[in-house]
Amino acid sequence: MEQFEQLLTCAICLDRYRNPKLLPCQHSFCMEPCMDGLVDYVRRQVKCPECRAEHRIPYQGVQGFPTNVTLQRFLELHIEITGELPDPTSGQTMKRCSVCSEKSYVTMCGHCDKEVCADCKGAHMDILRREIARINSQVRRALHRLQDMLALVERNMLALQTNCNSVSEEVEEIHSRLTKALKDRTEFLQSELDRYLTTEVKNLAQLKENLELEIANISSNCDLADEHMQNENVEWDDLELMDAKEIFLRTVEFIRNFETETTDYTRRVRFVMSHDPNTLVLNVAGYGELSINMPHPVIQSLQPPGPGLMRSKSDHRLASQYRGEDRGYDRSPYDADPLQGRVSPLGGRKFGERPRERTDVNSGTRYGGRNDRDYGDEYDPDNRQSARSRIRARFRHGAGDAADSDSETHGGRSVRFNESHAPPVKEREKVLDTEDVAKGPLSGITRLLDSPRVMKKLLDSNVKKTKKENEPAPPLPAQNQKNPIVRKTSATPVTPPVTQRQVSEDDEIARIKKQNKTAGSSSETVTREPVRPSSERVAALKQQSSSDQRTPERSPSRRPSAQEVTSSEADSDEEVAAIGSLRKTSTTASPPNTKPAPARRVGAEVGGAKPDAESTGTSPNRARTSSDVRRGSVSSTASNTASPATSTTTPTTKPFQSRFLGGGNRPSTTSTTATATPTKPTPPATKEEEEEDDDDEEETEEETETSSESEETESEEEAVAKKPAPAMEKTDIGPLLARAANARDTAPSSSTSNARDAFISSRYNNSSDSKDSTSYKPYGTKDETSTTGSKYGSASGRNRLSDDDIPSRFGTSTTTSSQPRARPSYETDSTPSRYGVSRETRAGSIGTSLGTETPSSYTSRFLNKSKSTAMVSPEDEKDESSLYSSGRTRFAALKDRKARLARSKSSHALMLDDEEFDDGPNSPYSPAAYMASKAAAASSSVSDFPSQLTRSRSSHTLKSRENSPDRSTAGYSSNASAGGGEKDGAALSSWARYLKSKYGNRGKDGAGSSSSGTATGATPTRRSSLHSRHGDDSDEESKNMYGSPNDPIQTTAQTGIGQVGTTPRSQYLQKRRLQFKIGSRGSEPGCFTWPRGIAVGPDNSIVVADSSNHRVQVFDSDGIFTKEFGSYGNAEGEFDCLAGVAVNRIGQFIIADRYNHRIQVMDPSGRFLRAFGSQGTADGKFNYPWGITTDALGFIYVCDKENHRVQVFQSDGTFVGKFGSMGNKAGQLEHPHYIAVSNTNRVIVSDSNNHRVQIFDVNGRVITSFGSEGSEEGQFKFPRGVAVDDQGFISVGDSGNNRIQIFTPDGQFLRAFGSWGSGDGEFKGLEGVAVMSNGNILVCDRENHRIQVF
Amino acid sequence: MSALPRRIIKETQRLMQEPVPGISAVPDESNARYFHVIVTGPEDSPFEGGLFKLELFLPEDYPMSAPKVRFITKIYHPNIDRLGRICLDILKDKWSPALQIRTVLLSIQALLSAPNPDDPLANDVAELWKVNEVEAIRNAKEWTRKYAMEN
Repeated sequence: MEQFEQLLTCAICLDRYRNPKLLPCQHSFCMEPCMDGLVDYVRRQVKCPECRAEHRIPYQGVQGFPTNVTLQRFLELHIEITGELPDPTSGQTMKRCSVCSEKSYVTMCGHCDKEVCADCKGAHMDILRREIARINSQVRRALHRLQDMLALVERNMLALQTNCNSVSEEVEEIHSRLTKALKDRTEFLQSELDRYLTTEVKNLAQLKENLELEIANISSNCDLADEHMQNENVEWDDLELMDAKEIFLRTVEFIRNFETETTDYTRRVRFVMSHDPNTLVLNVAGYGELSINMPHPVIQSLQPPGPGLMRSKSDHRLASQYRGEDRGYDRSPYDADPLQGRVSPLGGRKFGERPRERTDVNSGTRYGGRNDRDYGDEYDPDNRQSARSRIRARFRHGAGDAADSDSETHGGRSVRFNESHAPPVKEREKVLDTEDVAKGPLSGITRLLDSPRVMKKLLDSNVKKTKKENEPAPPLPAQNQKNPIVRKTSATPVTPPVTQRQVSEDDEIARIKKQNKTAGSSSETVTREPVRPSSERVAALKQQSSSDQRTPERSPSRRPSAQEVTSSEADSDEEVAAIGSLRKTSTTASPPNTKPAPARRVGAEVGGAKPDAESTGTSPNRARTSSDVRRGSVSSTASNTASPATSTTTPTTKPFQSRFLGGGNRPSTTSTTATATPTKPTPPATKEEEEEDDDDEEETEEETETSSESEETESEEEAVAKKPAPAMEKTDIGPLLARAANARDTAPSSSTSNARDAFISSRYNNSSDSKDSTSYKPYGTKDETSTTGSKYGSASGRNRLSDDDIPSRFGTSTTTSSQPRARPSYETDSTPSRYGVSRETRAGSIGTSLGTETPSSYTSRFLNKSKSTAMVSPEDEKDESSLYSSGRTRFAALKDRKARLARSKSSHALMLDDEEFDDGPNSPYSPAAYMASKAAAASSSVSDFPSQLTRSRSSHTLKSRENSPDRSTAGYSSNASAGGGEKDGAALSSWARYLKSKYGNRGKDGAGSSSSGTATGATPTRRSSLHSRHGDDSDEESKNMYGSPNDPIQTTAQTGIGQVGTTPRSQYLQKRRLQFKIGSRGSEPGCFTWPRGIAVGPDNSIVVADSSNHRVQVFDSDGIFTKEFGSYGNAEGEFDCLAGVAVNRIGQFIIADRYNHRIQVMDPSGRFLRAFGSQGTADGKFNYPWGITTDALGFIYVCDKENHRVQVFQSDGTFVGKFGSMGNKAGQLEHPHYIAVSNTNRVIVSDSNNHRVQIFDVNGRVITSFGSEGSEEGQFKFPRGVAVDDQGFISVGDSGNNRIQIFTPDGQFLRAFGSWGSGDGEFKGLEGVAVMSNGNILVCDRENHRIQVF
Repeated sequence: MSALPRRIIKETQRLMQEPVPGISAVPDESNARYFHVIVTGPEDSPFEGGLFKLELFLPEDYPMSAPKVRFITKIYHPNIDRLGRICLDILKDKWSPALQIRTVLLSIQALLSAPNPDDPLANDVAELWKVNEVEAIRNAKEWTRKYAMEN
């Protein structure tokens, strides 16, 4: 037998022959590796080891030698006889190990899913073992989370019990109270009834007795009379008869008259209930309800996800959903396992099993079919294969690499771990039969100790080597190949399942990435591995270490990009604010009134303008400043006035042209109008003005000049005013003035008079504004010192205009910038200064060739002013110059109403011009304008207080004016001596007019909205100021709109106005109806895959961060797709699951490129401009930046989510500051997601994991916060998107509750709408929120892959 | 280090289970490819009675290349030099994968019985062996007694 066996043994390998090849010398050897090793490749010979005979190798190699069939038969026979199992490697052929590329008998490695040799496999298993150890330690470290959760749950149980007890006590108490009250009342009623009954019965009885008595008496009388009086039996004397008669008469009378109460006693007493018994019963029956706050009403309840394991709690719903899906998927392929209640992480496979496919199938199918599918179908939700399969695919890829690197990517590992030890996720031969094993109810993680296989292994190891219990010895590859070794410490197994699941979630993303990358396998693998883990990040166990790399990729899809939203919000806010203001103004101001006003204004403007020019001539510097001031004032006034104009739709268009034309014409007009008496007013005026100024406000510095300016204007006005009555007729203006005067005089009552009053008031306002501006000069000066060239410079112009509350740094900067601007423009009309720029921009937006005109218009303005008397004329000129019919009409019939209207328009236009100049950049389209407007807002904040005061005063003055046009009120004195003077004198000085015209609206607004302010006089309420401000903004905007008819904004704004006629509050209260929605799942244009951030551009475009499509999509305000840009990657202009987007005033896109940990700035056409930031925790570095926004000054606010802070940058990416740290105290943040900045520079942050919204000032100090965890009104669950409108109303995407909540600026709950679902107005996972300028709320409905607009 | 080829394992097992008379080969504890070999001097040879220590190392590509064998014990033999290197054809060009450790050691044992001074490695020894075989054999016996029989 032994010899027989020897005959079957290859002499080289000393094993039984495998595929014996017969050499010509009749010696046989195994083909591989024995014969192979004999080959002398140089000589192409084989030398027989036995006989040393040399044989030529056949052409096709050693395979060419004939197989020793006889030997093979013997081998088979031998097997049959001995029943000996074939050698494990028999029938196998040697392949190159795909790791070490040595030739050997390879087996599949569960770790890397490659065919590797035993050595490498052993090494891999070592790796796996180490990974398990590491992961295990992580699990141990993270286990406390579950324990915490456990404690929490216990606490919750207790809390719930106590809560329920207390509630039931409460109910009991209410019940007892109710019953007691009921009983008391019942008893009371019954006793009352009894008492009433007894008394009444007594009365009746008495009555009855009396009646009976009466009856008896009377009847006896009757009888007596019958018997004795009718006959003459008895002698009665006359007196007796008389008495008797009288008695009978009385009796008759008594009987006739006697009436007892004959009322119906059957219904004498009624039981009347104060309430309808039915309702009462109903009320009682339903006297209370249990309001139960279901944290996750929709999905969540049944499946508590292991919250600790999820990436973030906010995602848990998704996770559970996903799990659901996952399960579903799993089922189909694995239906075979009916016993599995839950899909274990191993994916239907039993612990330690080899993946099934493997058993029955060749690997080829797996790779071919499955993988293809996985990659190809990633996006197709329906087509999704079981998540598992995907995972596997991933693993496979990763696995290959794993051998090389022990890299620390956790995610991959965990999975791997499963594979190797307990054979990989894929089907394997059954190693561990774990069907009966206890599984974690939440995670589905099996308990390893319960696995028979594990038990057996452990037992074996115990028996063999007690030492090795802890560390199961790696199986000898040769021996154990069949059975992968499962020994592990019991603790470890837990982790893998979790990770897998998580992984599955992220798989899609990862795949996507892969697709994108399509990179080489090796390099890829590394990256991939990390990727996986990231997905698991949610689960969080393993992620921590490796998570960084991974997270970026995976998470993106899930996480909504708050940044975008915020940014969009911010932008939109501004616009919205403007609109809002428009609305307000519209509401407040009555169109008819406004119209007349403008005409006058124009005149006023003109007048005002001149003085400046003059002053400039004399003392250029001061003049500038003064002019600046004025402009500021003017602009503000203009804005004010403009607002009313805007309210009336018709006038708007005309004003544009008129404006421009007017501007162009003006200069000429000045000359022409010179007749009007431009110069006269000044000298006297100056003095007066000065005086006035002193009176008005403290700023004396400029004063001489500024005062001179303002004074001049005023003086002009005054002069006009003085002269006016007489003068009016003289000049063109005269008539107007006269009219105005008349109007005033006659009619406060008449509408026209009102209008005038308004104008006047507006004037006053203007004056006040100018003063304010002057007062602010100090800032201005500072600003001047500061860099003029700053972008914000444009903003400076605004500063004057705006009276914002915010004294922020921005304000200062803005102011500064404004000044520089102002100078150049003033000095030289054509100066290329910002003014020029702004003009240009404006002009550009307008489309008319205003470039040249604008400067001129400036001058013209001033000129006009100087010519105050000529004011009228300038208007005329304007008209003339302008092709406008209005102008002509005016000329033709100054007195005609049309003329008035036209003028008003023109004036309006002028005003617009002024405003624009001041604001310059306001037009949203032109970047400069945009910035300027922002700046204005900021500046407004700075100037707020004083301005408010002034305004209030002005309004006050206006009012007073209205009432008594002639007299100068105290208010006047306070505000504008000039104004007062005007009023006093002629009331209609050109300046006054101008002011009126400009501020007329505003005055109205002020009057209307800030009537209280007027009442208070010196202390106007902030509100009023806000309103007025808004009004201004709106005015500006409206102007802009008008100015550029083509602008998309215009329409929107108008519509917005139309819609919004009401207050924002009411508007919000009406919100709920879906206006329209955009998109569905997909990667085509107009489709989304997990949209996150959303923003509104300056042109009211809708900008969406299409996160998992790695691109930004832009839609117009109607939701029509306009463009997209960006693709996957980390190069310039490429994104990796971007989250937030913002659009700044100049239309640049600012994008939080989340997984690249950087911020990218794109120009309005989507071209890359710059990027900044990288991963880290230092200043200027990010950890998954999420929400992003910009403020009026272009500062960029970034929610640095995983660093739990907000970072602020300049628009060029320079780090400015940061605030917030991990925690739940005031000023601390936990996973801030989205951010928005209001136009009052309040920084609103959704402090997601603290379930609240915090509001900071720009320096990072907490102003307020609101919200807590819950689903009541005003409570949140993981709030995400935040947006703020121009009014400061805050919209919050309450992600966990799937609703939008709206709050007032002070954080009071206003309204909520929305619920879970995929229908209209329903959400699944909210991300960014933004508000458009028309008040529409944009919502990123992430899991529905769409944008909804409300 | 890569795993031990099956063949080496098998050979080792067989060497343990069925030792060749007069030869013992024990793998080193730390290196399964390194064997401590003891060969007894063949009868009727000048080396009779001696216990000769050798070391045997199986190279990486064994069995495709010959094992490396060297005498540790000094021996007076024309085909073995002072360093213990062995001149044996099967350890060089005549190596065949069909040979095994045991066959190699048997060959070495045979070499002791039949020195081949015509193919010398130690020239002086070979010279003497050719010129004065008696003297040579006496030297050999001397050396054997001196070096191989100490214990």
